[in-house]
Amino acid sequence: MDLELDEDQLALQAGARAVLADACPPALVRSVVEGADDAGARVGELWSTLVALDWPGLGLPEAVGGLGLGVVEVAILVEELGRVVAPTPLLATCTQLVPTLAEAEPGRGRIDDVLAGVASGSVTGTLAVAERGRWAPDEVACRAEPVAGGGWRLTGTKTHVLDGATADELAVVARGDGGLGVFLVRAAAVDGSGLAVAPLAVMDPTLPLAAVALDGVEVGADDVVVAPGDPRAADAVDRALQAATVALALSTVATCRSIFDATLAYAKEREQFGRPIGSFQALKHRLADAYLAVERANALAWFAVLCVAEDDGRRAVAAAMAKSAAGDCQRLLTRDGLQLHGGIGFTWEHDLHLGLKRAATGELLLGTSLFHRARLAGLLGLSGGEAVA
Amino acid sequence: MRLAFDASVEAFRAEFLAWLAEHRPSPEEMAAEPSLSTGHLPGWARRFTRAMFDDGWLVPGWPPELGGRDAGPIETLVYLEELARARVPRTANVQGLGIVAPSIIDYGTPEQVERYAMPILRGEQTACLGMSEPGAGSDLASLRTRAVLDGEGEGAEWVIDGQKVWTSGANYADVCFLFVRTDPEAPKHKGISILLVPMDAPGITVRPLPEIIRPEAPDLNEVFFDGVRVPASNLVGELNDGWRMANGSLAHERGMVWVSAVMGLEESLERLLAEAPELLGRLSGPERALATDQVVQMAIETQAARALGYRGFAKLVRGGTAPEQALMKLYASEARQRIAQVAAEVQGADAVEVETVDIDGHLAVDEPQGTWLEQYFHSFANTISAGASEIQRNIIAERILGLPRG
Repeated sequence: MDLELDEDQLALQAGARAVLADACPPALVRSVVEGADDAGARVGELWSTLVALDWPGLGLPEAVGGLGLGVVEVAILVEELGRVVAPTPLLATCTQLVPTLAEAEPGRGRIDDVLAGVASGSVTGTLAVAERGRWAPDEVACRAEPVAGGGWRLTGTKTHVLDGATADELAVVARGDGGLGVFLVRAAAVDGSGLAVAPLAVMDPTLPLAAVALDGVEVGADDVVVAPGDPRAADAVDRALQAATVALALSTVATCRSIFDATLAYAKEREQFGRPIGSFQALKHRLADAYLAVERANALAWFAVLCVAEDDGRRAVAAAMAKSAAGDCQRLLTRDGLQLHGGIGFTWEHDLHLGLKRAATGELLLGTSLFHRARLAGLLGLSGGEAVA
Repeated sequence: MRLAFDASVEAFRAEFLAWLAEHRPSPEEMAAEPSLSTGHLPGWARRFTRAMFDDGWLVPGWPPELGGRDAGPIETLVYLEELARARVPRTANVQGLGIVAPSIIDYGTPEQVERYAMPILRGEQTACLGMSEPGAGSDLASLRTRAVLDGEGEGAEWVIDGQKVWTSGANYADVCFLFVRTDPEAPKHKGISILLVPMDAPGITVRPLPEIIRPEAPDLNEVFFDGVRVPASNLVGELNDGWRMANGSLAHERGMVWVSAVMGLEESLERLLAEAPELLGRLSGPERALATDQVVQMAIETQAARALGYRGFAKLVRGGTAPEQALMKLYASEARQRIAQVAAEVQGADAVEVETVDIDGHLAVDEPQGTWLEQYFHSFANTISAGASEIQRNIIAERILGLPRG
């Protein structure tokens, strides 16, 4: 087992970090958080930069115009984007839409066209699975009814869809008589299609969320990713969710690391009682524990990335552990990061809150720590018997 | 970055497992003659350590003449994992093999290596490590046991007076690797030297300190030195260079110490998961849900320890620095404590009972035995010794994070 990046991967990481230091400064993030007039243009510019560097197609096969690299390389980008709290469509597109489409039979319907669009940077997408803020596949109530010609009619409401208001393609999970299925829905066809997208007013606009109402939205046979009744369907949804969950865990931990770095730097420079506050043991021990929490969650996140990359049998357990640990990590880092900054961290003008809100939001999407620990109880064989309430 | 090992590493593993199957002491043999302290070698331990030495399996990373086979770090990792999984210790004398012998090999004279280090490697003798004192625990550098040179030339002798405490295995050990103050005028880190002291030298008194678990077989001792005399040639390395050597000694296999800690944690978890269906089955409703969550959290702790260990190890193998390594002692020892505490609570009233079986501690393999409550109290051995958790946090804050000293 080798849990460290190889030389090419380290070079990619260093390159990505350098690009983002320049292309995604805190001022850009702040413009998004403050809803500044030029925010849209600045985010568009950032995305154009990343597209020019082939980031969206990094993990896609060369056959659809991608660079043919793997899950680990995409994870490297996700980590760097999380570190700078970047507002880009990459997270939803490359870690939610793409892994979902990867579960389809190769070459099915218009999937390769969509992937080619992603690789070229012209198409963004997301995964619409949550309902009423819950990411449990067995709780999906959204209906899929077959229509003539192999198409399906979708009815229901999806919530907390990342980039839901801006994505070009939505991978919608819905339930047919035969079980769960996944369908591609074009966001462009809003008028008269029965599709209504409503952005949420959220604390962290760098992870924009929307509610997606489907009122008899019809999709064609070409839009089917995996059909209800297909024996692989439930597994496909689980696996897509695992990939998305691991990526969000990694991104959240990366944001926590930047909170940690800022807090550590502040503890070294801020002086009270004639000495740096970081020289007091009470703060030293809290910072040591915060550092440990970041390293712990980071190690679990990378282990899970590797399990997904190699399609290891432990991927379900690893994904749930990674998200759970990321949640523990952000709980400690948002608390101590803010507390140790004192009053200055409580002000809008300080950049600390950009990361705090992103980290806290990361915990609440794709299942909280509590949700994933409950899943783990099942995966570890601990929730059997009728005694569980 | 990948999950599997190379085929050559797997071949190494297979070779070791085959050897182990043939040479390992049986569990019955081990149970019949338990090790009474880390200074005590039962017959099976002597035979097994010797067999490992002869066949190059004692410290695989060392050359054959020292009981190794020049193996690389990844092979050593696999070796330690398999050894722990098989529940067989390389030696009962962990500090002898892990710290004293390698330090003598690094810093001692050829005569000292032949006289003191080789018998440890061959399973013939044991060593203890004389460091802590009543007034020098976490602040080790303020130790006061002193040695004064008496005479000159060939016949000169060190005369030692003072007291050590928490000396593991001193009640059975053959020799002590003793830290003494040789220059009382120098700054405290600069006046310390190391002497090799036979434990049967006149003037040494050993008083065992029975522990809170398994008091009938104490491992910790107080050791009193009253005018103890050893030849001048028993000085290890340079005079007054003991502090630097101490940091070197403790670094031996430091990159690997986490392996047994993680394996111990995994054994605890394995046992908890095996018992969990029955234990949780007795509970109902919210109590069962709460207890289940506690067990799940321990599974996460354990997997995190392994992931952290592997990440740090991968960096070390590449020749880089690995801050994860400094975290492992703190993390693994505290996780072990939590798991025992959680398990005892999940077990409920039955955890009050005492088992008569051997508790680990005296074996290099940190095998969990005894009841959960016994394990819980026993776990403090690892959060207190070798740099208490609070010291570990200071070290992380100051050396890794670069925070100013208070």
